[in-house]
Amino acid sequence: MMQLIWDGLFVGSFYALIALGYSMVYGIIKLLNFAHGDLYMLGAFIAFAVLSSLGGIPASLSIGALLVVLLLSMLLTGTAGVLIERFAYRPLRGAPRLAVLITAVGVSFSLEYGVAALAGPNPKAFPIRLEGEVFNLIGARVSLPQIVLMIIAGLLMIGLNSYIHNTSTGRAMRSIALDRNASLLMGINVNSVIARTFFIGSALAGAAGVMAGAYYGKIDFLMGFIIGLKAFTAAVIGGIGNIKGAMLGGLVLGFVEAFGAQWFGGQWRDVFAFAVLILFLTLRPTGILGERVTERV
Amino acid sequence: MRIKRHSTVLITIAAAVLLTTSGCSGGLLGGGESEGESAGPIKLAMVIPISGSSAPTGKYMENGAQLAINEINEDGGILDGRELELVVGDEACDPQQGVASANKAVSAGAVVSVGGYCSGATLPQLPIFEKAGIPMIIPAANSQDLVNQKLKNVFMINGTGKQQSTAALDFIKKQGFTTVALVDDNTSYSKDINVETAKQIEEDGSATVALSTSVTAGESDYSAVVRDIMNANPELVYWTGYYQEGGLIINQLKKAGFAGQIMVADGSVDPSLSEIAGAGAEGVYATMTQTPDTIEGAEDWIANYEEEFGSAPGPYSTQSYDAVRLAAEAIEQAGSTDGDKIIDALEAIDGFTMFSGPLKFTPEHTLSSGGFVILKIQDGTFVLEDDLS
Repeated sequence: MMQLIWDGLFVGSFYALIALGYSMVYGIIKLLNFAHGDLYMLGAFIAFAVLSSLGGIPASLSIGALLVVLLLSMLLTGTAGVLIERFAYRPLRGAPRLAVLITAVGVSFSLEYGVAALAGPNPKAFPIRLEGEVFNLIGARVSLPQIVLMIIAGLLMIGLNSYIHNTSTGRAMRSIALDRNASLLMGINVNSVIARTFFIGSALAGAAGVMAGAYYGKIDFLMGFIIGLKAFTAAVIGGIGNIKGAMLGGLVLGFVEAFGAQWFGGQWRDVFAFAVLILFLTLRPTGILGERVTERV
Repeated sequence: MRIKRHSTVLITIAAAVLLTTSGCSGGLLGGGESEGESAGPIKLAMVIPISGSSAPTGKYMENGAQLAINEINEDGGILDGRELELVVGDEACDPQQGVASANKAVSAGAVVSVGGYCSGATLPQLPIFEKAGIPMIIPAANSQDLVNQKLKNVFMINGTGKQQSTAALDFIKKQGFTTVALVDDNTSYSKDINVETAKQIEEDGSATVALSTSVTAGESDYSAVVRDIMNANPELVYWTGYYQEGGLIINQLKKAGFAGQIMVADGSVDPSLSEIAGAGAEGVYATMTQTPDTIEGAEDWIANYEEEFGSAPGPYSTQSYDAVRLAAEAIEQAGSTDGDKIIDALEAIDGFTMFSGPLKFTPEHTLSSGGFVILKIQDGTFVLEDDLS
C-alpha cells in the first residue's frame, strides 16, 4: 500500500512538471502545445550531449554535475521553446485554433525526427546514473535519488508558483490569461510575456527530461510521446489552464496509474489511466480545479 | 484544353507504369526486357531494419548476407556464371515500412527474399512475396505466426517461438526453478513466446507460472510491472521483449530489491542491454540462437567477416550468411529463377551444412531443431552458459 502511494507520488511529480507547461501555454494562448512532450525529450538529449562532450565524470561529483547540467539544459530547452513560439506559433496567432494545433503536431514531428537525424535513432544510455541507497520508509522502498529528484521537482514548482503570484511578470501572465486585449491596452507587452511563458514551461519540461534520463538511464528520440500524452491527461484532470490544477492532476494521475495497475494488473494500467481521462472529459471537462478562473495563467 | 492536358498526363503516367512493370522481371536497373530472366545478376531481396531501434542488428544481417554473396560471386556465381546481388530495403521494425520495402524489392526484380528481423514487420510482407511467387528464407524473425498461415513460399531458418519456449523450459527444469513470471511487450514475437512458454510450463508441471503480464513498449517507468513481480515473488523472471524495455525492467527490478534470477529472450540479446540496465545486468540469462562467438570452429569465418567489414559480426550475421547460401543452393538445384521450382528445391534439401547444423525443413517449413542455447551476461557481455545438449 505504502509502495503504491510512493510510486504514484514519484511518477506523478514527473507528470506534474510536464503538465505545468501544457497548462501554462493553454491558459495564456489557448493552444494545446503537442510539441511539449518533445521538449522533455530535447532536454534529455541536450544534457546527454553536454555530458558526453565532458567525458567521464567521477561518481562522487555526479549530483553536482547533474545540477549544473540541469540548469544548462533548462536554459537551452527554454530558449528552444521561445524560438518555437516565435517562428511556429506567433505568426499564426490570429489563425483558427485548428491551424495552430496542426502546427504544434508538425513541430512535434520536426523535433522528434530532427533529434533522430542528429543523434541517431538508437536509444542512448545516459552518461550519469543516479544510484543510491535504498531504505525502508513505513513499508515503502525509497531510494535516495528518488528523494533528491522529488525535492528538485518540488522546488521548481514552488518557485514557479511564487513567480506567478509575486512578480509583475506573473501578474501580467495572469492578466493576459483573463483578457489579452485589455492587457494590451493596459500597457503590457503581450508578446514578451507569452515568450516568457513558453520559456518557463519548456524549461520545466527540459528539467523533467534530464531527471528522467539520469534516473531511468535510457533516452531515445520518441521518449516524449507517451509522457506528453500522460501530461496532457494530468493537465485535463487538474483543470487545464490552472497551475495548481496541473500539479494536482500530475499527482492524481500517478496515483490512478499505480492503483489501477494494482487492481486490474499491470497491462491494464494505461487503459485505466486514459479511461479516467475520458471520464473527466465527459463528466467534468473543467477538471478538479477548473472554473476558478482567477488563478489561470 | 484543360481536359486534354489532363489526358496527356494520364497517358504519360500509364506509359511510365507500363514501362516500369515490364522492366520488372529483369529488374529496374538490370538491363532491358530481353535479358530479363536468363542473364544479368540474380537479385536477392533483404528487408531488414536499417533505421529505428533495431538498426544495429540490421547491419549485422546485411554484412553477413553480403559476405556470402561475395564468396559465391568470387567462386563464379550460380547458374553458369550469373552473379548474385543484394537488394536491401528498410523495415524499421514497422509494418507499413516493411510492406513498402517489400513492394519495392518485388518491383526491383528480386527472385528470393532473405530478410526479415522483426516479426511484426515481416508478417504483412508474406502475402506480397507470396503473390509475386517469391520464396522467403527468413533468417531471424521467428514468431510462430509466420508459419501458421501455411504459405508455401515461407521458410524459417531461425528457431521458432515454440522452440525458444522449449529451450526456456529445459533451462528452467535444469536449474530447478519452481515459480516463473513471464513478461512481454505486446508485440507479435514477444507475446508468442510468453503464451507458448506458459503453455509448455503448465503442460510439463514441474514449475508454475506465477505471473503472465504485458507492458507498453516505449515508456521509462515500469514500476507497475515491477510491483506485480515483487508481489508474485517468482524465482525467475522471463522477459520476452526487446532490449530497450528489457534493460529498464532489469534495472528497476534490481533497484526494487528483486532477489530472483532474470532471463531474456533473443530480442534482448544486444550489447545495449547491459548499458541500459547498468550493473544489474550481471548474471542475467538469455535464450538465444547461436551467435558467431558461441559457435565452435567459426574463428575463420569471424576473421573473414572482420577483414571485409572492419568490425566484428553480431547477432544474426551467421543466419543471414546461411540464408544467402541456402538461396543460392536452391536456385542452383532448381536450375532456374522460377519461384515454384526454387520452393520445390528448398523442400527437397536434406543435410545442407549451416551454422546451426545440417538442414532439413519440417513439413511446416521450420528447422527440425531450433538450436537455442542459454547465454549469461558476464562483465557486460553475453557468453555461452549452457548449450542445452
